[in-house]
Parts: sequence; C-alpha cells; structure tokens
Amino acid sequence: MNLEKVIFGFFIVLAATLNFGFFLGDIDNPDHHHAIELGAALAVSLIATIMKFGDRSQMGAILLATSLVADLQLLVAVSVWAWAAHVSDFGVTSEVLASIVSLSGGALLANLVSVTLLVAETIMIRR
Amino acid sequence: MNDIVWLTMRRMRTPLIALILVYTFSVMGMVLIPGEDAAGKPIQVGFLDAAYYVAIMATTIGFGEYPTAFTHAQRLFAYFVLFPNVVSWLYAIGTIISLFVDPQFRAVLMRSRFSRRVRRMTGGYYIVCGFGNTGRMIARGLLRRGIGAAVLEREQSIVQSMALDSDFANLPALTADVTDRRLLDMAGLDKNLPHCLGVLAITDDDHVNLTIAITAKLLRPDLPVLARAETQRVVDNMASFGTDLTVDPYTIFAKRFGLALVSPVKYLVQDWLISVPGSQLRKELKPPNGRWIICGVGRFGSRMARILDESDEPYTIIDVHPDRVQSRPGSVLGRGTEATTLREAEIESAVGIIAGTGDDVDNLSIVMTARELNPGLFVVARQENPLNDQLFDSSGADLIARRSLIVARRMLAVATTPLLPVFLDHLLNQDERFARTARHRLESVLGGRSPGLWTVRLSGEWCNSIREAEREGISIRLNHLEENARFPSEGKLPCVCLLLERGSLRTFLPGPEERLREGDRLLFAGRDSARREMLFALREPTVLVSVATGRPRPRGAVMRYLARRRSS
Repeated sequence: MNLEKVIFGFFIVLAATLNFGFFLGDIDNPDHHHAIELGAALAVSLIATIMKFGDRSQMGAILLATSLVADLQLLVAVSVWAWAAHVSDFGVTSEVLASIVSLSGGALLANLVSVTLLVAETIMIRR
Repeated sequence: MNDIVWLTMRRMRTPLIALILVYTFSVMGMVLIPGEDAAGKPIQVGFLDAAYYVAIMATTIGFGEYPTAFTHAQRLFAYFVLFPNVVSWLYAIGTIISLFVDPQFRAVLMRSRFSRRVRRMTGGYYIVCGFGNTGRMIARGLLRRGIGAAVLEREQSIVQSMALDSDFANLPALTADVTDRRLLDMAGLDKNLPHCLGVLAITDDDHVNLTIAITAKLLRPDLPVLARAETQRVVDNMASFGTDLTVDPYTIFAKRFGLALVSPVKYLVQDWLISVPGSQLRKELKPPNGRWIICGVGRFGSRMARILDESDEPYTIIDVHPDRVQSRPGSVLGRGTEATTLREAEIESAVGIIAGTGDDVDNLSIVMTARELNPGLFVVARQENPLNDQLFDSSGADLIARRSLIVARRMLAVATTPLLPVFLDHLLNQDERFARTARHRLESVLGGRSPGLWTVRLSGEWCNSIREAEREGISIRLNHLEENARFPSEGKLPCVCLLLERGSLRTFLPGPEERLREGDRLLFAGRDSARREMLFALREPTVLVSVATGRPRPRGAVMRYLARRRSS
C-alpha cells in the first residue's frame, strides 16, 4: 500500500465532495449554500495542493495545475463573499451569491478533473 | 529572398519606366488644359483630380469624366493619351505575369522556399542527395525515428511527386544539380545551420556521390558523410579523404554471404539486428559447401567469386563476355538462362547457384531453369529493380541481393543507431560463443519478430530517475531498467542490452548487475513496447528508485519530509 496515495487521494476526493455539497441547491438561495462548507472546501483543496509540491513526475505536474485552478476559483469565491458581507453596503444579495456559487462550480470542475487523473494514474501504474 | 526582389526589379525596369513617363505626361496635360464647371466658368483641374482621372482611365476602369464634364480640348487630349496609357499598363502587367511563369524565376522561388524551410528546421536532420528508391527508404526510416531530412534530387518529377506522399509532403526538397556547392551550403553545410547532422550521398551515379562527398568534407570536415559507391576505385577514393562510411551494396552482400558460409550463428544475429523491425525472424541459413555456379561475374558476381575463393569453395563461371570466361579455365560461355549452358556447367553436381547478371528477368529465368534441373540447389539471386520484389520472393531463392535495400539498411543503421556498427564489428571478431549468447538472449525476448533498436543516453531529462537515486545513495542497475516499472506482474521488458558505452569503455552484452551512471550510452534491441516503458521509467523522477528499493517512493515534498523524519 502506498501511504502517499492514500493521503493524497483522501484530500483530493474530500475537496471534491465538500465543493459538490456547497454547489448543490438553487444558485441564488442563501438557505442552500453555507459559508462554512465553502471555507472547508478551500482549506482541503489547499492541503491537497501542498501535498503535490515537489512532485516532478508528469502526472504530478498536471495534478498540481488542476488543484491550483480549484484553489484560485475557491479563493475568489471566498473573497467575493467576504467583501460583500463586510465591506460593501448591500450585503450578500442573491446576485452576489449566484456569482459565488458559479465560481465554486468552476472549482468543482477542476476537482473532478483531478479525481479523474488520479483514477487514470492508478490504473496506468500498478506499482 | 534577395534574388527574388532583384530579379523582379530587373525585369520590371522597362515597363515601369514606360508607365511612369506616359502617366506623368498625361497628368501634366490634364492639369494644364483648363476645364469648365456646370455654369460654364473655366476652372483649373488639380493634381489629385488629374492623377485620379488618369488612373481610372489607364486601368480601363473608366468611372467617367472627372471632376466635371470635359470640354472638347480635354476630350481631345484624353483621346490621344488613352491608348499609350492602356498599352503601357498591359505591358507592365504582362511582364509580371510572364515573370511568374518564367522557369528561371520559379527556380529562384523554389530555392528560396527550400532555404527558408531548412532554416526553420528545429531538430536534427540529414541532407539526402538523391531520392530514388534508396533515398525514399532512408527518408522514411529517418522520419520514423524523429530525424528530419532535406532532399536534393535531380529529377523534377520525383520532387513534384513528393508533395503527393503524406510522409514527405513537409520535407524541404529541391530539384537541383546535387553537386552544386551553393545548394549543399543552403541545405545545411553552412555553419549557421546548427541542426544538420550529416550528408547522405545516395544518387545512382558514383561520380556524383564522390563529388558530394568531397564537397562536404572540404566545407565541413566535422560533419559525417555517408556515401554509396559501387566500384572499388570510388570506394578507395572516398575513403582516402575521410568519408565516414562508404556503402558498396555488393561487397556488403558478398561479405554477409561469406559470413553465412563460415558462421551461420553470427550471420543470423547480424541479420536479426539489421532487418526491418517487426518482420519475420529469419530461420537459420546454411549455404552448403561444395561446387557453386556463378552466372554473370560483373560487379556483383566478381565479389561473390572472391568470397568463395576466400573460403576455398570451388565454383564454375557462366558469362556472356568471352574475356571473362577465358581468364578462368572450365568456365562456360553463355547467359545461363538456357538449360544447355547450365548442363554444360554441370549443374546436376553443383550445390548452389548465384544468379548475378545485371538483368532481373535473366536472373529470374536462371533461378527457375536451375531449380528445374536440380531442385536441391541453394539459390542466390541479384535483384536490381525494387518493383520486382514479389517476383523474386515467389521465385524461391534462398538469398536475394536487393541493392537499394542493402544501402538503405546500412545507412539507416549508422545514421540512427551509431552504436550498432560497433556491436556488429565486435560480433564478427568474437568467437562463436559470444554469437551464441547473443542469439540465445535475443531469441528469448523477441517472439519471432525482428527487434527494434534504440539508443538511450543517460543525460538531461532521460536521467531524472538515476540522478534522484544517486542523491539517495541508491545504485540503479541494468536489471532495474529492464523491469516493467508500471506493471511489476508483467515481468521483465522484452529487450536485450547489447552494448554499454561509458566514456571510452565498452561493455558488450552487459550483465544484469551492471551499475548505470549519468552519461552512459546503452544500445538496446527489443520490442517497441519495451522501449516506451523504458523511456517512461527513465524520465519519471521516482520510478526507478521505487523499482530498486521495492517500495513506492513518496513523490511530494511533504511526504518525503515525513518519511525522512520517521526513518531517522
């Protein structure tokens, strides 16, 4: 058993599931989307990225790229939320929420690519 | 590019001067002659209006009288200048069109396009002089191994037909006198073209090949020159000024035939390594000892005769030239295609026949007649025209000397796997035991198909894995490289390491415990799948370390740090 694979697989799949949970629901309904879930998705995604630091294999490079994309999307989503809630004077309206959720939808796509790559690598290299 | 501009300017000089004179005169006239406006008041036509009017008149576009309706004086002037204007326009346009279809101009255009394509080459390439059957085979082989080619060929129709072949459509190719120094310069002898790997002189004319070889060696002594030559005189001449490889197809074939006579195992191993990858492996071949018959002792037959002399085999000559027959007692005058001549040479008691005339049909006829008279004969046939491949294949000849194939194989081997000739030389000079070991190892991995060959140089990105192992203090051995790194359950990769070169040290058929170091060069023979797996293992940084230690190695920096903490 490859311990590194277990840990990395855990984080990459958890990032995808958390993100999916946040994304699910009406796009502009605040009852369907919780801030803590978004924050957790971001944190897990960042950890998955750090796990790929220093991996110079080809698959490692692509996985690093996809998880960086997910990080970026989630980071922007969180920033928009924070700005709307604390800086702007209109608060988290349904328009703002819609753009936050669509950003997390982009991150979800990147997460799915990561998971697919992980599966492909596992099938391709049986060592 | 400069040539094109210069040629255009020179041809266009007269028409342009005529055009400018007529145009200027017409514009001046239009400006000087007063017009009148709608109210009948005289007006002066400006330069812009006049130039505009003359332009639309001369080009026969004719939007009408401009800027106002003309007076009679204006009309009269326009009437007189109209014809010279149109004529000088047509003259200029005609000259340009005739320039485009001019053969000289087209040649300049093709040359500049060739030069541009050569300069845009990004990877290594060979200059291929002569694109007959041999050139075609070599170019295809080079491209398959990721090496480019710049083609110079005398026949225009061959260069034109290249555009129709999808393999060659993107090669820079030029119809040209292949001995022209400037063209060779343009194709890659110029020192500013860093990607040129060497020159292949493979036209069907020995003298042309000689000229190319001399030119290349004089201009760029550092570039390898591989040339084809079919007479001993030219071979010696080429060797005298340092041509790196002269390929004389008949001598090569005769030598291989000689090898088969002395050592069938060495012949077999050599044949496997130089045949087209993926083709059926040749079974063991043993030319019998006894009296041979040689039909035709020209360039081919005489070399075969010398080999038979060297191995003390008796032979009888059949030839149409009386002087050749007279020089050896017991020879028979004739073509060898008729049963009577063959009987006269006592074919019934011969062990083998060599059909070596310069004519394919004659050779086929000799083979058929001889086999009818003595079915047990060992038959060697010479084939000149590659279109007759199938005829010779079905003739039942045991060995076929195909000129262009022999040249193409030898040149490709030297150009793409420079270590192979080193190995083959060693094979010839070693005892039978070495050949038997090589045969045994090859046989166990090949599965009945001839192997692909590849050279691995452990440097740059192909050394990632080995460098990583060195940092960890783990030594990577040859057997690690020969293991399937992705699927351990599949066992060893189907390949054999023929040669390991480290600096000036060469190890032939190295053992599995041989340690690999950065900078080593390895020659492998095996199936293509083995090559892909091997290159994968070499490029990925951690794969070989995992194979060597038997444990998956952490790839990320965090996991590596944790692993180190735990082990210390």
